[in-house]
Amino acid sequence: MTASSSSGGPDAASARAAAISVASRARTSGWFRSQTSRRLGVGYLLLAPAVLYVLLLVGAPFLFSLYLALSDANVGEPVASFVGLANFRAALESDVFYIALRNSIVFTVVAAIFKGLLGTTLAFLLLQPFWGRKVVRGLVVIPFTLPVTISVLSWKWMYDSQFSVINWFLSRIGLVGSYGSPDWPVWLGQAHLALAACIIVNVWRSFPFSAIVLLAGFTSVPTEILDAARVDGTSFFQRFRYVVVPMIAPILLIGFLFDTVFTLSDLSIVYLLTQGGPANATKILPVLAYQVGIQAGALGRGAAISLFLFPLLLPLMILLLRNLKRRED
Amino acid sequence: MAAPRTRRQKEIRRHLWIYGAITPYVIIAVFPIYWMVITAFKQNPDLYRMDVFPLWFHMAPTWKHFSYLFTDTNYAAWIINTMTIAAWVAVITLLVGVPAGYALARLRIPGSENLGISVFMTYLVPAIILFLPLSRVVSMLGLQDNWWSLVLVYPTITIPFCTWLLMGFFKTLPTEIEEAARVDGCGYLGALVRVVLPVSVPGILTSVIFAFTLSMQDFLYGLAFVAPGDQKPVTVGVPTELIRGDVYFWGSLMAAALMVGLPVAILYNFFLDRFIQGITGGIGK
Repeated sequence: MTASSSSGGPDAASARAAAISVASRARTSGWFRSQTSRRLGVGYLLLAPAVLYVLLLVGAPFLFSLYLALSDANVGEPVASFVGLANFRAALESDVFYIALRNSIVFTVVAAIFKGLLGTTLAFLLLQPFWGRKVVRGLVVIPFTLPVTISVLSWKWMYDSQFSVINWFLSRIGLVGSYGSPDWPVWLGQAHLALAACIIVNVWRSFPFSAIVLLAGFTSVPTEILDAARVDGTSFFQRFRYVVVPMIAPILLIGFLFDTVFTLSDLSIVYLLTQGGPANATKILPVLAYQVGIQAGALGRGAAISLFLFPLLLPLMILLLRNLKRRED
Repeated sequence: MAAPRTRRQKEIRRHLWIYGAITPYVIIAVFPIYWMVITAFKQNPDLYRMDVFPLWFHMAPTWKHFSYLFTDTNYAAWIINTMTIAAWVAVITLLVGVPAGYALARLRIPGSENLGISVFMTYLVPAIILFLPLSRVVSMLGLQDNWWSLVLVYPTITIPFCTWLLMGFFKTLPTEIEEAARVDGCGYLGALVRVVLPVSVPGILTSVIFAFTLSMQDFLYGLAFVAPGDQKPVTVGVPTELIRGDVYFWGSLMAAALMVGLPVAILYNFFLDRFIQGITGGIGK
């Protein structure tokens, strides 16, 4: 910061007559340099706490989880020894791991399809001008805004084995028999229904999010372009396919990636509804990692299981990163 | 005379069509909340009946599920815990996120775009990968079974998100305000504190709301780090403590859920557009 005076001074003294302009330029560049370094100094200073927090509580734990996964760490014993890839091997040799992996993928893919369908149709409806649109929008986003544990509780009560309000309706309209009959669905107690029940809650929770992200995309398409396409005689679906979708592709991708990352790594819905049961029918990787790592106390094995999520998440995160970067330019 | 009427009829028909199509969505979205409300106010004998229409009262509504929460459970403590945790998280988030967002948006740091994106990406590192190592960190600091552990870890979610949000917000401010402040002799920090912060109240308020609501969305950290019944935040306490073994007291469970869920949903709703903007990076209105 003191560089400006020392670099500008001698310069001006040695070439007094000829180089007033040079001197002043030197002084300017020195001043500029000090301004730059001061600006950067302040900048890095302001940035430091955020970078430190993230490095210490996200970066370091992530590396630490790699270390845990390679050790036989337990909740009870603080001293762990290196066991190499034994935890990963143990996971790959257990049947439950494959069940959890399959359930995770089925859960995420099936839920994504329904969120896409419901989200797109809802976004189109919300795009239309109609009376009370704001109120309707406020109502349909409620599932997304409620704290997850709160809404899951409500669903658990709706899925009650005896007093399920869903079953009450189904039996009244004749789709299922009355309570006690063989086709009375026990939502959280029967293998296929239990997985479906968890997917339903995830879809219910997230389709408004898909719709709102899509809506933000749709409204960002300039109407002039759509009008021009209409004048050219394109059909609604042609305009959607060839004008709207390419234009909002980045936003679609961001919404999709976000939702997939959160769906894959979420424990709360399944844990609160079924704890992975019945008979592992709803066991997904996050639930397995929690049960092994915390409930059974095998930190190392739990960390290894949770790290299996990483290869699933990494491509999504790289895609997202590239997308965000491109949009910054 | 005929033309306006048909246009009006057309308009009405269009509206009917839209309402018809959107009603199922509204019902699907709102029904669990309605079911929560009606359950919270029903007397127990009214709750466990299969012979009557379940969506309305068949006995007088009651407040007793609500009063039970405050007299017989830790509900009040959970609410206080949650509010205190969220307040601390909001303070930490602002102290860290405002300077970082400002530096990334305005101080032309080399590589600031990449830095901003990397900070934001940590928002996506799932808790399920971090909770086991963080449980070690928490116990090393002696914070296990104490809600202070949550004050420590929730900013890992809120700082990335709010820094990103604030960065976007600062970018929308005109640069002239800082230039004017600097002409008047302010340094970078002086300009930030004296002229930028006062015009950034909406952005800061949004960050506070999201620090509150994001930390209330957590389940895993609360479940893994805090076992004692009186230390839990409300969104963890309700589903884990109000259930005795296999017995569910649905009336009080739904009352507890309602009292937390509704205010959060309403608060969130007001700021939803900013949330979406934060995620999609400013596209859309």
